[in-house]
Amino acid sequence: MKEIIRITIGLTLSCFLAAMIMGAVFVVTDKTKKQNEYNKTQATMLGLLGYGKENPATEELKFYPVYRYIVEEDGETYLGYMVPVKASDYEAYEFLILDLEGRLVQRFTLDISLEKAIDDSDRQKILKETLKPETAFAYQDQTIVACLRDKRVAYLLPGEFTGFKTFIEVMLALDPRFDIIGLEIVEHEEDPGLGAEIEQDYFKNQFKDKSFERLKNLTVVKEPLPDVFRRYLEDPDTLSAKELEDIRNQYLDKDIYSLTGATISSRAVTNGVKNMVKRFAYRIKILDEVIAGHQIPAVI
Amino acid sequence: MAATKKSNKELVINGIFLENPIFRLALSMCPAVGLTTSIKNGLLLGSAVLFVQICSSCTIAAIKNIIHPRIRIPTYTLTIATWVTVIDLVLAAYVPAAYEEMGIFVKLIVAFAIITMRLETFACKNTISASFWDGLGMGIGFMFGMVSIGFVRELLGAGTILGYDILGFKPLLFFVLPAAGFFCVGIMMALFNYIEGVYNRLKERKQ
Repeated sequence: MKEIIRITIGLTLSCFLAAMIMGAVFVVTDKTKKQNEYNKTQATMLGLLGYGKENPATEELKFYPVYRYIVEEDGETYLGYMVPVKASDYEAYEFLILDLEGRLVQRFTLDISLEKAIDDSDRQKILKETLKPETAFAYQDQTIVACLRDKRVAYLLPGEFTGFKTFIEVMLALDPRFDIIGLEIVEHEEDPGLGAEIEQDYFKNQFKDKSFERLKNLTVVKEPLPDVFRRYLEDPDTLSAKELEDIRNQYLDKDIYSLTGATISSRAVTNGVKNMVKRFAYRIKILDEVIAGHQIPAVI
Repeated sequence: MAATKKSNKELVINGIFLENPIFRLALSMCPAVGLTTSIKNGLLLGSAVLFVQICSSCTIAAIKNIIHPRIRIPTYTLTIATWVTVIDLVLAAYVPAAYEEMGIFVKLIVAFAIITMRLETFACKNTISASFWDGLGMGIGFMFGMVSIGFVRELLGAGTILGYDILGFKPLLFFVLPAAGFFCVGIMMALFNYIEGVYNRLKERKQ
């Protein structure tokens, strides 16, 4: 009996000690890790807009995130948007609550800066303080509005949808008319060699430059990808300007060529992107009407 | 095995050549076969193992008198898991690029036989400094094994060294496949034995 107690105490103590060490390291490294993830997202966004190491973005390009929430109050469901606004000399947020018909119900000023709002827990805190205690709210997604000299140049939509096995996380760039600028696969767990090919240039670049109208009825075709189109998708630099133009004209309005042996993954991405864009276009139109109709000093 | 009488230098050499984890002890064969398709993989994983081995060896050597003999194995696992988590978090925070490629393998280090084996046969009977040198030797030995297998497989399988194109063609694509890992380890093990045989014969002749 005595031995069992000694063993129990010994093991508990060692576990406790191990937990202390791991906890301390976690606390020290967590901030850097979050910063890394943030930097990576920024790099992805800039990459989609065509900026990179050789072609750095100008200072005037700014990213304004808009956060969407679902708000429940007195048994009714509303949509809540955290919209960046111009407050006297700095940028802060306003929380707009719209009903399901798209009418503005309530608006609150949030005392939170753009940098601070990036952190999920900080947003949660300020919303809890501002809203009525019985109001329930849940974070849904965010949209990043890229502005160049106070003019919208692009929307960046981080999103996820189900793939063949688990979720596929993507980042989508749209221009102000909702035409696709680019698609980036951020994370996925598709089968290597089959579904995992969705992250290859020759698949994801097929979405590039597809117009909003074309996207609405975009489908997947089970046809082999033509070699010349593949070359255009993978390294367009090797083609001359005229060749590029010809290929563009020929293939731009085509459907998405399915990946060999991974039709489900190809369809999942196509439909996922389609739904993301359609829903976003619907929502942003309503939000824009509200912002214009109530003279909200939004910076986006 | 009682406390070792070997000097620090002998301990390190012991780990690299005489008791090389991969070629002589044939331990931790899974990573040696699975993750050695390129030199870079071998180097990254080898350095992570080196760190975990040294830290775990020193920890166990320091607390060897407090551990109840009946729960020594759980304690080893706990110690290794703690250090693996530490290096996992540190790598994720400070070298995100490398972590992205090897993150999943780092977590596997917990199950590597070589580390537990060194704790059981060496660190729990020796001083901290001896355990440090033994851990260093074993870690370097493991890294040496991984890198040399990675070198052969990358050169023959992909025609490159550290990602740079050397041959310009792919001599034997077979070598990047997992099965070829066994062939490669086997051939290198034979080579190791042969070199040792020659070395011993030379030594005898001198005497």
